[in-house]
Amino acid sequence: MAGVGVTDMQKPGKTAERSVSATLAAATCALLGTTVAAPVDAQEEPKWGFNTSLLYYGEDEDRVQDASFKSMVRRLFADDRTLSLGLTVDALTGATPSGAIRQDGPQTFTRPSGNDSYTVPAGDLPLDDTFRDTRVAITAGWQQPAGEMGLLSVGLSASSEYDYLHTGLNASYAHDFNNRNTTVSAGVSFASDSIEPVGGAPIPLTGMLDVDDTSNRLGDQDKDVLDVVFGVTQVITRNLVVQANYSFSQSDGYLNNPYKFLSLVDGVTGDTLPRIPGPEGGPGGQFLFESRPDERTQHSLYAQAKYYLNGNVIDASYRFMTDDWEIDSHTLDLRYRWPLGATSYLEPHLRYYTQSEAEFYRLSLDSSQALPQFASSDYRLGNFDAITAGLKFGWKTRNDNDMSVRVEWYTQSGTVPTAQLIGNQAARDNYPDLNALIVQFSYRFSR
Amino acid sequence: MRNKIAVISLMLVCAGCSSMGVQPWEREVLAREEMQLTVDPVEAATDDHIYFSKEASSGGRGFGGGGCGCN
Repeated sequence: MAGVGVTDMQKPGKTAERSVSATLAAATCALLGTTVAAPVDAQEEPKWGFNTSLLYYGEDEDRVQDASFKSMVRRLFADDRTLSLGLTVDALTGATPSGAIRQDGPQTFTRPSGNDSYTVPAGDLPLDDTFRDTRVAITAGWQQPAGEMGLLSVGLSASSEYDYLHTGLNASYAHDFNNRNTTVSAGVSFASDSIEPVGGAPIPLTGMLDVDDTSNRLGDQDKDVLDVVFGVTQVITRNLVVQANYSFSQSDGYLNNPYKFLSLVDGVTGDTLPRIPGPEGGPGGQFLFESRPDERTQHSLYAQAKYYLNGNVIDASYRFMTDDWEIDSHTLDLRYRWPLGATSYLEPHLRYYTQSEAEFYRLSLDSSQALPQFASSDYRLGNFDAITAGLKFGWKTRNDNDMSVRVEWYTQSGTVPTAQLIGNQAARDNYPDLNALIVQFSYRFSR
Repeated sequence: MRNKIAVISLMLVCAGCSSMGVQPWEREVLAREEMQLTVDPVEAATDDHIYFSKEASSGGRGFGGGGCGCN
């Protein structure tokens, strides 16, 4: 297995091919705002690189399903200048937890559009099954050397969904020092997004209304996100390279999920307060739309190490994130690339993630107490652990193209703080655990 | 305070860097495609997007991702 490199190097043109693809990978990383270890010099003719993937992401119990096509094309020009263009198309369907709690009887809700209502059977987790969207995203990036040791990248991104429009700009600069063993980088990205919720954005903490009553709906909303990333990449030995990043992210504007709401419950029984629907139909219980702060500041520290061990590659990374919503998270990611012969490999992957709940996370709202200023029952702001376990098989085709297939399982399990459980809630399964299957096929080649 | 700790850590890391590393002719392994920090950018972007949609944290490796109504 250690002989793979030797075999490759004996083929004329093979090393050139490899360095081009490494440079192209570097260019794309810059587009994504990541940094690379050591720039590889490429003095070859201009070349094209193609990287395409098909993804299936499916949650169990008829929750979110995503079929996604993603493609990146890179054109390498003279003097190491690179243009990268990317396209992603997602087709999304399925149901997603609405934020309401389970009840012993059936529950009726008004749909987000306000045009209709739907009923969830007794004891079931309330899901909003109207989730259906097509997302198209494009990216463009330009990268070029800046002086002897610098690399400058600029990019733009845009994406469109039925109810969401994103536009973004980014720029980064990486500088090599110390015989190119150290790379220091800085990047900035700015996004300006607009949200046009189906039926209009509800006024936070107002109640869900009858069908056709849109009196608590606002117009379109927007949000801005500023990201700044500083990184250091260091070659330690011939077989070991490490990276450390600090990133800062500031979001301002409409940060609510317009489709999520909380159950307003009795302070003793913990059951949802009843409501008499109007003649057009409407909710049979009292539900209030969520309310998040209109600002969020996140800090992350990220460290990654890659180690080459007798032909195998160990890739380990850790991230700590903390924010002013009082969420802390830890992410540990391990990959082990294990060559099978000269042209294929297996790569097991294990990821562990854990986060604490936002300070305004609430399972439900207690009607016997004053309403808080901020509240959300979105399970993604709750206290949960997640594990991803996967296996990838990759191989080189006869004409030296890279192919890979990976299958991964993603599972989340969370808990609601005991202090938040009221009356009958203590006996119910309150947290919407998640199980998802991820299958991705990737194809890469350069010409 | 957190910012200061981050800046000081970065400076310490950099100060230690000058004595580490390899000579240009010792880069055979480091130049290999599988030793790049991000081997498959499309796969990395896919993962960032999935976890951005399902968890309260994003980014770290690069920009925070997003640009979608999935959160």
